[in-house]
Amino acid sequence: MKQIFYQALKRVRPSMASYDKALLWCTLLLLAFGLVMVYSASIAQAEVDKDTGFRSTYYLTRHVIFLVVGLVGGFIAFNISTKTWQQYAPALFILGVLLLAVVLVPGIGREVNGSRRWLSLVVINLQPSEIMKFVVPLYAADYTVRKAAFMGGKLVESITRGLLPMLVVMLVVGSLLLLEPDFGAFAVITAITMGLLFLGGFNWRLFAGLIIALAAGFVGLVVSSPYRMQRVLGFLDPWKDPFGKGYQLSHSLIAFGRGEWTGVGLGASVEKLSYLPEAHTDFLMAIIAEELGFIGVASVVLMFAFLVLRAFLIGVQAAKLDRAYQALVAQGIGIWFAVQSVINIGVNMGLMPTKGLTLPLLSFGGSGIVANLLALGVLLRVDFENRQLIRGVRRE
Amino acid sequence: MNRATATASIRAQRYAHVLKLERWRVWTMLTALMLLFVVLLARGLWLQAFNEAFLQGQGDARYTRTLKTEANRGMITDRNGDPLAISTPVQSIWASPRGMALLPPGQKRDEDWEPANDKDPVPVSQDELKKLANALGMPAADLIKKVSDGRKNDKGELVRPDFVWVKRGLSPTDAKSVLALNVPGIYAQTEYRRYYPAGEVMAHIIGFVNIDGKGQEGFELTRDSMLAGKPGSRTVIRDRRGYIVEDISTIVPPRDGETLTLSVDRRIQYLAYRELKAAVESNHAAGGGIVVLDAKSGEVLALANAPSYNPNSRERIDPAARRNRALTDIYEPGSVMKPVTISAVMDAGKLTPESRVDTFNGTMAIGPNTIHDTHHGGVLSIAQVIQQSSNVGAARISLMMPREYMWNAYHNAGFGEVPHSGFPGEAGGILRNWKNWRPIEQATMAFGNGISVSLMQMARAYQMFADGGQIHPITFTKLVAPVPGKQVIKPETALAMRNMMESVVQPGGTGMPARVVGYRVAGKTGTSHKLEGGVYVNRYVASFIGMAPASDPRLIIAVMIDDPTGGKHFGGSVAGPVFSNVMAGSLRLLGVPPDAPTDNILIPAPDESDSRE
Repeated sequence: MKQIFYQALKRVRPSMASYDKALLWCTLLLLAFGLVMVYSASIAQAEVDKDTGFRSTYYLTRHVIFLVVGLVGGFIAFNISTKTWQQYAPALFILGVLLLAVVLVPGIGREVNGSRRWLSLVVINLQPSEIMKFVVPLYAADYTVRKAAFMGGKLVESITRGLLPMLVVMLVVGSLLLLEPDFGAFAVITAITMGLLFLGGFNWRLFAGLIIALAAGFVGLVVSSPYRMQRVLGFLDPWKDPFGKGYQLSHSLIAFGRGEWTGVGLGASVEKLSYLPEAHTDFLMAIIAEELGFIGVASVVLMFAFLVLRAFLIGVQAAKLDRAYQALVAQGIGIWFAVQSVINIGVNMGLMPTKGLTLPLLSFGGSGIVANLLALGVLLRVDFENRQLIRGVRRE
Repeated sequence: MNRATATASIRAQRYAHVLKLERWRVWTMLTALMLLFVVLLARGLWLQAFNEAFLQGQGDARYTRTLKTEANRGMITDRNGDPLAISTPVQSIWASPRGMALLPPGQKRDEDWEPANDKDPVPVSQDELKKLANALGMPAADLIKKVSDGRKNDKGELVRPDFVWVKRGLSPTDAKSVLALNVPGIYAQTEYRRYYPAGEVMAHIIGFVNIDGKGQEGFELTRDSMLAGKPGSRTVIRDRRGYIVEDISTIVPPRDGETLTLSVDRRIQYLAYRELKAAVESNHAAGGGIVVLDAKSGEVLALANAPSYNPNSRERIDPAARRNRALTDIYEPGSVMKPVTISAVMDAGKLTPESRVDTFNGTMAIGPNTIHDTHHGGVLSIAQVIQQSSNVGAARISLMMPREYMWNAYHNAGFGEVPHSGFPGEAGGILRNWKNWRPIEQATMAFGNGISVSLMQMARAYQMFADGGQIHPITFTKLVAPVPGKQVIKPETALAMRNMMESVVQPGGTGMPARVVGYRVAGKTGTSHKLEGGVYVNRYVASFIGMAPASDPRLIIAVMIDDPTGGKHFGGSVAGPVFSNVMAGSLRLLGVPPDAPTDNILIPAPDESDSRE
């Protein structure tokens, strides 16, 4: 009798999977969608470009290779315990900073469009700033956990021992990134570290004061000089100079307008026919908007929102299990995806000045997509370990 | 072992303080991030559902183009469908100097040269331009100047144009070899070139078009809109390199120009021009005109002038050669006016062909003025007045009627009024108001002095003798159905006058050189002094107007030779042979059966003195 009762209970309660299926499917869906859209957005450009050898599948094949590399990397990252990640986080961080320094050395770093962002390895070009985006959550979470004692403590102590060391480190990383220059990566990395300090319990009044001071300084700088104001706010009206500075943005907005609700149809974009530069990388969203309309845009935005939500909930779960480092890593990754996707889509929509950030998981861009998948591997690992703990599986 | 425990203890020390994460911070941050996503959705909705019209308009402005499809200019043919003006496709070569950067001599473009941006001009070497100039058959210096010239803007920078013609109207094969050189910035465009197979023979009727295909003269000008048709259009989306991606609206096909069928007969025109030109040359005349009318319909079968010009040539045309003398020049017609005057008086019932007029001694004084005849005078029949072209006789007959009646007669015959043949610049001539006429003027007008007409008007007036007193409107286009004419004189009068005019080309008449073997000819000679600065001088306009076959006229031919200086100047001897040759040839071409015994023997041409007027 009792056994029957338990069996009935078992049927009602679905057996919990050992990993987050929804998150995995969301990731794979975004990757598949990105693959299709990268091909669609690049085909016309690849066909007429001498550099691609006039092969229409040039970007498609490379994207597939990076996807395979990224998926393998993600699987490996998933199989490494979060303890190990934490242990090697400082070392990885130093390696990242070294790579950022090396890329600046002329002759080693490859310059494209005025930015020195790429390291030419034999087969592929490595982008250290993308690796850095993956390493920063791992490192900043560890830092925050280490400095736990000073986080909520006395004000002076929390500044000198909590905030200052991180500020110094960020100053180094920030200047390296700005020397490339790579404003996008700088913004993302700053957001991750600041976000993790905040989540880690850093004095929120100080935090608020810091943000207000930064904002005031920025506004002051901009307002004090009309030239700077024009530079910063120029993106708000691309129609003033649509053939010069506003060229890319105006074409991006036109792509959105052409898409309307349901889009002009997959493959039917006109903007991708050499009008919109960087259609398959930074401005992929514009092509999605044109070909698939608001429905396509909303789907992508909602999938990213879901991904970010999952990352935060995994973090909350980890925090409940007293796993602070894992919680912060998960939420750091969540901040990364949120900030980068919002900036990228915002730039495409003319809400922000052009940054040079790709759309995570979707855009063509070798190192970027590999770094994204490594991070998701770690995120799935955090969740996997959470589930193991809930089930009472003891590790070690 | 020791070391391991040491690290472990350091680690334990470092992480001694367990971090307790506050829940509210997570929710605050998550909410903030989710709000950003909401902003994105809102912005997307605004762009794609509310501002889409503006954005699409901007897009259309960038990549939709309305392309013009040239309409083929209509043909002009003669009444039998023979082409007189045809458009043939040619290639015109143009350059985009702004897109070219001329390299210094001796330098070549790098093999792997690539534009840095959209506006980066392509380097072009001097060698390439020399080869191009060679293929185009133009001096290399001219070509280099064409692609390097520009105008200075207000900053003093040289701005070179986006478009400049290099050479127009190349044959497709020539253009192909030019484009095969693959010089950057050099392009070809299809244009149509007008070709006139009849050349100078038809020049004054057809006219010509300018290099842009716009009519400049003749029917190319007056019927320009009909011939030009309507260019079609096609609205397309183009990619950045200019290739057409798709059509976004229905293609409006060009409406080709219509074919204009003239009433002119190419064979008669050719004959008329050839004979006229020969006569103008042999008589050392300043010029001449000839009009051939269908006697029953008013259609113009031929109209030629000498000198003429070749409309196929792009050389500058001498303005004198461009004048359409037969239509736009007015002159004092002289004696060819007499049949008009006399038939008007006959129509009033005051005369019959048998009536007699005293021409005195060949002179007649009216007030202080005197009218002279070239022949000895005496009492003449009306037929003799016509045959011998007596000025005194014609004047006396005219003076039998009131001024107003004579004015009406001339006016009804179409004088002093534009003929409306559908041709530009037609002259209406001068017929002064009858209220101002003095008797001497009424008298001289009777033999065509003091009245100015065009040759076309004269030919038109003669229709009344050919078609039972009717005058039909002049037309250059082929008629489908006959246009009713205006009855000007009674049919009996017309017939009687025609019979009298036959005597002009018979022995004793002034127009014997105008005879045609096998056909009866009715006509009238005219020799008038030219007016220079209001004074009559000893220079002449010799003319002959006539019709054949006289039994039932088919053609009216009017010939006018301006200022013959080859020794002869009388209408009969200068214009008569032209009439005879053109009439004979035309009647045979048209297959008109002869109405005179074919075995009639031509009497040898009388002495020059006998054919004097």
